[in-house]
Amino acid sequence: MADVLPLVLDALRDVYDPCCREKGISVVDMGLVRSADVGEDGAGRVELLLTSGWCPFAARVLTEVRERLEDVPGMAGADVEIVWDEAWTTDRLSPDARRKLRFLPDPAQVPDREAYIAAHRPSTPTGPEENSCDR
Amino acid sequence: MIDDVFVFDGVAHPFNFDSKNALNRAGEMFSNHLYAFHAALTPDNEPKLPPEEFLRQWTVGDIRTMVYDQSDTDMLVAMPLPLTDLYRDGLSPWEECADLAARDPERTVFWGTVNPLEGRAALDLMERQVGEYNARAFKFYNVRYDYGSPFPWRMDDPKIAFPVFEKAQELGVNLIGVHKGVPLGPQPIEHTQTWDMDGAAANFPDINFVIFHVGLPFLDETCWQLIRYPNLHASLAATINFLVRAPRMFAEILGKLLFWCGEDKIVYGSEAPIFHPQWALRAFMDFQIPQDLCEGYGYPQLTDTAKRKILGENLLRLHGMDVQATVGRLGRTPRS
Repeated sequence: MADVLPLVLDALRDVYDPCCREKGISVVDMGLVRSADVGEDGAGRVELLLTSGWCPFAARVLTEVRERLEDVPGMAGADVEIVWDEAWTTDRLSPDARRKLRFLPDPAQVPDREAYIAAHRPSTPTGPEENSCDR
Repeated sequence: MIDDVFVFDGVAHPFNFDSKNALNRAGEMFSNHLYAFHAALTPDNEPKLPPEEFLRQWTVGDIRTMVYDQSDTDMLVAMPLPLTDLYRDGLSPWEECADLAARDPERTVFWGTVNPLEGRAALDLMERQVGEYNARAFKFYNVRYDYGSPFPWRMDDPKIAFPVFEKAQELGVNLIGVHKGVPLGPQPIEHTQTWDMDGAAANFPDINFVIFHVGLPFLDETCWQLIRYPNLHASLAATINFLVRAPRMFAEILGKLLFWCGEDKIVYGSEAPIFHPQWALRAFMDFQIPQDLCEGYGYPQLTDTAKRKILGENLLRLHGMDVQATVGRLGRTPRS
């Protein structure tokens, strides 16, 4: 099989780490998939990075990714591995995930904290910025 | 007092880990999960309890001994934990906490808890906890259970949450804590995120909300909420216990909080008896944010003034207690 990464990413676009489900950020948007290929035995192989070694949901994500991988046409099985030799960083986030999450700059890049907050504060200071009462 | 710093511990639970208390496998797993926290984060040079000594019923006397006799803690919040789907008594029932507070009424403060999904019954229980047991605040957990299923609710829900907030205000209580970040057993973690705190803080500006276990997993988002709402505060309970095992991770969490939210909005909690309070208190007093993080990222240093506020003064203020008057009233002096 040629480059299977796009195929695998497509299959995983609605797989969520529970921490990110409410924000609608999939494991693909989080940049958790480091690599995907197919072994000589025809089984799909995916390497996953975790955002944190403390993640209590690694097993759940691992299982769900494996199940989706097994459903990809042409895959004769699935092998999913969490890799530790590379640290996940926010650089791996998709533009969509970056829009949904707020990241504050390092203080060293903020010469005037009050000015930064004022510039980014919503216009109604006591109103919820993204109030999600609508359930 | 540790050195000359007043310590107000924001959370201890009289746990009932007796194996007969667990209702199901999930309860057993959660007990083991907390034991793993104890074993993994307690420093190697501190006493680690074997499972049989940890996984038992902790009495209110045990908690008093650990917190008051064996550590430099001056005041304590007795905090319920109502996991009623996992344990027969919820694991740390509010009645036990009220009893713990009654043993030292000058030093231990009782926080009540109810299940907002119970409607009128919840409001009645709030009245009782305040009127009969002197609850000074309430602690809420956003996933409650019934009939073996989780029922999540949000802090910004006008039908479920707002009635209990209004009741708290009617009872003269303006301090509310909420468990966030760390899943309590097999529960949907979505509702332990902080996204609902904007709506709670904006609609109840006269209530001070304390977000417990800050730092997991989206610290920047939480900081941005704390910046925008003066009535949101952060508790380092459990987070502080990473201090010895993962000091740089702790430094990054604390550095961000100090820069963005400020030293007035951070409070301490020990989580006794999961962790003995003394080692984290000592480590915190001795802690400095590594200089390369201050210079590289621009984090402010953890000053003596900030330590004083975080370990006690901020929580006193949130309870409406004057710092000097309380220290004088209790006659606290550094332990010899």
